Order: sequence, then structure tokens, then C-alpha cells
Amino acid sequence: MNAQTAIIEILSAMTTASSLFIIAAGLTLVFGALRIINLAHGSFYMIGALLMATLLGTSHHALFWPALLLAPIAVAALGTLCEVVLLRRIYHRDHLVQLLATYALFLIFSDLSLRLWGTDSRTVAAPAMLTGNILLRGASFPIYDLFVIVVAAGVGIALWLLLQWTMLGWQIRAAVEDPESLAAIGTNVPLLFTLVFTLGAFLSGLGGAVVAPLQAVGPGMDQSVIVSAFIVTVIGGLGSIVGAALGAVVIGLFQAMGILWLPTWAPAFIFLAMILVLVIRPAGLLGTVGSAYFGQND
Amino acid sequence: MLSSARKCLGSLRFSTNSARSLTAIAAAFAFALQASPAVAAGDVVIGVSTTLSGPISQLGQTGLHGIQSAVDAINSHGGLLGKTIRVVTADDGMSPATGTTNVRQMILSDHAVAIFGPVSSAVGAAEETLAGQYRTPYFLFTSNDVKMTTSSFTPYAFQVVPNTVMEPRAVARYLADQVGSKPITIATITPNYSFGRDSVDSFLQALKTYGVTFKVVAQEYPKLGETDYTPYIPALVSAHADYTFVGEYGGDLITLTKQAVGFGLFKQSTVIGQYGRLALKTLPNEVPGGTIGFDRAPFWAMTGLGMDAFINDYHTKYGEWPSAWAIMGYTAVQTWAEGVTRAKEFAGDKVVAALSGATVETIRGPITLRSCDHQGDVAEYVGTIAATADPRYGHQIYDTTKAVPADQVMLTCAEAQALQPKH
Repeated sequence: MNAQTAIIEILSAMTTASSLFIIAAGLTLVFGALRIINLAHGSFYMIGALLMATLLGTSHHALFWPALLLAPIAVAALGTLCEVVLLRRIYHRDHLVQLLATYALFLIFSDLSLRLWGTDSRTVAAPAMLTGNILLRGASFPIYDLFVIVVAAGVGIALWLLLQWTMLGWQIRAAVEDPESLAAIGTNVPLLFTLVFTLGAFLSGLGGAVVAPLQAVGPGMDQSVIVSAFIVTVIGGLGSIVGAALGAVVIGLFQAMGILWLPTWAPAFIFLAMILVLVIRPAGLLGTVGSAYFGQND
Repeated sequence: MLSSARKCLGSLRFSTNSARSLTAIAAAFAFALQASPAVAAGDVVIGVSTTLSGPISQLGQTGLHGIQSAVDAINSHGGLLGKTIRVVTADDGMSPATGTTNVRQMILSDHAVAIFGPVSSAVGAAEETLAGQYRTPYFLFTSNDVKMTTSSFTPYAFQVVPNTVMEPRAVARYLADQVGSKPITIATITPNYSFGRDSVDSFLQALKTYGVTFKVVAQEYPKLGETDYTPYIPALVSAHADYTFVGEYGGDLITLTKQAVGFGLFKQSTVIGQYGRLALKTLPNEVPGGTIGFDRAPFWAMTGLGMDAFINDYHTKYGEWPSAWAIMGYTAVQTWAEGVTRAKEFAGDKVVAALSGATVETIRGPITLRSCDHQGDVAEYVGTIAATADPRYGHQIYDTTKAVPADQVMLTCAEAQALQPKH
């Protein structure tokens, strides 16, 4: 493998890792704070992408930047609705009940999306400043892929700042440790949980909106992404934001290596990565058994 | 770890009440599944089990539109043998298990007299066996694995789509005409299941048969439904192949195309892909001109009896031009209807006997269903994609569309029969 190919492969792996991280960050945030494995997370991702396609479809792709903000905000509002109407009633129920509830949401959103948007695939055009490619030692690399990497880095930094350096972040971490004590000192814990779930939905919607110009946008996006997002969170350690970032990078690199060395078996490499990590560290790279949430692990 | 596992298992344990509730729910589901409308005296039912959700649902949905259009046309002329045709549909979710459940339900509960098959060949293979067991005619018009007319062949199945031998051979033939004796390098990327692997094997084998001197420099097999081709594309680009054969289709092809353009794959290599109506519509002016496209039934190149009327009716009804899947769905119903007309009844055995070896007049022209394997002698269409959109349709079409006749690319009957199960 020459240097040119190596650079492009590494950047490609980072693009894959970046798009996975944006989605997995929301999933792991929700699990860390609320201890809910949200199977509807992929639905939020798909709806984010579909809203992006709808908003840009009607504006002839002129409003990319406002749409990139509006689509995740709309998804966040949907997340708020789900939390208030359904999820806050089942926080203290068995994991099985929670799984069934979020799976029901997944099915409902899947069907609603088919009815609202139909079965057609759609495409989203990136703004002119993000189209085209740059040349790296003679090899092309898409500018939009670099943009995805930048967005993921921005999301990671923003989440770190939020959780480590803001009152809201401290409250979230305290709520995970001891919600009763937090409520006793006057903090509105249910509102806090609603905010966390809304943020998780926002991140998933943002993931969908950001990758929309790279994909066929349509039904099925929810299924395809949720498995990868779960693998990332399991590798990173359920509940760990930094772990999600590491997990995404591991997946991206393993997949790239598999494609280069054993293309026939490449799809199996991400599962191999998961198995290897779980054998060595059963709670994931940055997870700890019994206390796997971001407040402890990051 | 053990303690957390025990805790987890503990939380998953059902209480007696939960078990009773679940049993009640399961019973209610079972009852709901069994309950189905009875067939009215003047009706005859056909079943369509196809993919109506997920990344390839666009193919299933437009195929269903084609079937419904054909049924509407027949019903508007008094139906078939005096009966009104009613279509029952179900989503297979790309799952063979769901597909077979659908087919069993359609045959046993809805009393479907014919089944029209799915998008995925994996689902088709499972359904074909089941339809054979119930002696119900089964029409494959989108899924096209050659195994369905060879190693898993049942006499009840008919395939009116170019199969995974015919399609890549047609493309290889087109390419052989273009490159002549010049040595070329080839890269391939196809979905990692029977259709993808069969297609690429047949394509490479056909290139050899047609005397093309080539070297394979890269082969990639992403999963069906892949949403991120970013790791695969650099491997293709760095292979510097003269031609890149793409076996992806539906949303996967659209995603791959969007991602590959940015990496310069289309500049470096001539891409060959299944760019039909749906892909070209979804990617308006985004497929670089000069790309080689192939399609099973491009509406702009079809001239069969009644095709123009069908295209216009379809456009009026659905507000868009018909995809190949719609055209082939329409053809499949025409084929079944011809079998019923010849048999003068709906009984599966009689319809199968009437169609085996028959030539049926369809909107794609006459189609002969060989008695040896029930494969229709349908053409595959190959061409070079125009650089700009055709103003009539709002998307690119092929500069010139070449129909590769079936007799140039089909397995011979002897070859097909050698692969069929021996009884």
C-alpha cells in the first residue's frame, strides 16, 4: 500500500467513524443518563435525513445551512414528545419493557415515514462550498467528507464541554448518581431527563441531516444505522461519550483494514472488532461493569 | 461480569401474569392473522409478496404499481374468465421467513391462485419452494437469481426477468464489442449475497467467453443495504481499473454513486452499473456522462404492443414514468393471464401446463417461456449514459440503448437442466 492510498484510507475510516460517532454519541448519552436502550434512535436519524431532504427539496437546495439546524431541532421536538408521553413512565420498569416500548416506537416511526415520505429514495445536494474534492498527494478526497469529520469533532467537543463544565452537565451526572438527592435539593429531575433525551434525539437527527448528502435518503436508513451505532457504543462502553468516539474509530479502522486485506470478509471485521474488545474488556473500552455511564467513565 | 449477567437475566424473567398477558397477545395476533376476508363469488385473488419497506422498497413498490396497472387493465375489460382480479399484498421485509409466511397466508387464507414474487432472490428462493409445494404458479419479475430456474427450479415458477447469467453476460457482450482485443483491468463491487456473487462470477466468465483479455485488480463485497461505501471506494480508486463493474442496485447504487463521485472513481474508471429509471431519476444529472448503464426494461427503449399506452396510463396514474420493475410486474400479470386464458381455468397445474413452452404477447414484445426451465427469453438493455438530462423525462437516459437478445446470453436448455434437481 503506498502513502497516497494509506492517507485516503485513513481519512475514509475517519469519515465512517465520524458519522457513526454523531449517532452513537446520542445513543450512549441517553443510556448513560436514563439507562434506556433506545431502539428508536435509528428512527430519529432517518427522520432527520428525510426532513433535510424535504426542506431542501422545496427550497431547491438553497437553504442547506438553516435546514441543517431545523431538521435536528424538529427531531429533538419529536424526542421530547416521546419522552414526555411514553418513556418517563417506564424508567423504573424492566429493561424488557423499555426495549419493547422503544421497539414499538421504531416500528411506528418506520410506518409513519413510509406513509409520509413514501418508498422513493431521495438525494440531497451539498452546498457549493462543500462540493468537489481536494487533492492529497494526487488522490481525490471529497470536501463534504472532511465537513462530516469537522462536525463530529465539534459534537464531541461540545458534549465534553457540556458535561464537564456546565451546571446542566453537573446536574446530569449527579442525576445518574443519585436522582433522589438531586430532587431533594430542588432540581427538577424529570425535566433534566427530558432534556437529555431531547439532546440524544437532536444528535441522532443531526447525524441523519449531516450524512443526507452522502446517501440515498429513504426508508430503511433506521434499520441499517442502529446496528452499527450499537456496535460502536458496545465497543466504547455503554454510556461513555469518549468510548463512543473510540469505538467509532475502531470500527472505521477495522473496516478499512478488512477491505484492504480481506475484502471478501470485510463486513465481518466490525463484528470481529466487537468480539475482540468484549473478550479483552467485557464492559467495552471505557466502560466499567456496574457503573457504565459517562459521569464515571469519562 | 457473572453477577451483572445474572441481574440482567433476572430482569428478563417473566412473571406468571406477564406470561399470561403475552400468551393472550400472541393468541390475539394469531387470530388476527387468521382472520381474512373471504373471496367474493365474482373475484379471483392473486398475491404479491414483495419488499415494501426498507432500502429496496422502491423496487417493490413500483413493481406493485405495475401489477396493479395490469390488473386494472384486465378488470376494466371484464376481468379474467368473467372474474374480477383482486390483489392482496404483503411486505416481506427482505426476510425469507416473512416472505414464506406471506405466501402461505395468501394461498391458504386468501385463496390466491398465483403469487408474484419479491425483490430479493434470497426471499424468492424460499417462496418458490413453498409455492411449488402448494402447486401454485409463481412469477419472478424482479428477483432474478439463475438458481431459481436451475438448482432450485420447480415447475410452478416462471421467470420473466433477465437472470443473473443473462444480465451480466449482456453487459460483458456490450463491453467486449467496445474494447475489442485491447487488454483491460477490471474492478468489481457487488452486494455480498447470492445475487451479487453470481452476477460478478457470470460477468467475468462471460468476458472470458467473449475473448476479452482482462485482469481483475480489485473485488469488494459490501453488505446489502450498506449506507457507507467510504471505506470501499478508496480501494477501488487505488486499483486504477479501466472498468468498474457495480452490482449494487436501488438505494445502495444511489449511495455508492454519490460517495464515489467525490473520490474521483468515475474520472479514473469507466463505471458499469444498473442505472435504470429509478436511479437516474433519483440522481438527476449526477451520474457522469459516459458511464455504462444496464437495465432490464428501460421504458424509453421499449416498443412492445401496448407499451406506449401503458407508459402514458402509468404516468397519468402515478405521476411518474414507469421503472423496469413496473414494466416487468405488468408483464408478469400478462403472462399469468395468458396462461389462465389458455387453460380456461385458474387451477395451478393447468395454468403451468398452458404456459410451459408458450409464447406470450406482452408490452415488452413476445416472450417465450422455455419448457426446460420456464425462463422467459427477455432482452437485457445496455447503453452509455448521456451527459445531460433528457428534457422529456427530467433525467438522464442512455445515448444509445442496445437490446441484447436473450438467445445470445441465456444458458442453453442442456446447461440449465444439468443444474436442475434430479428427481
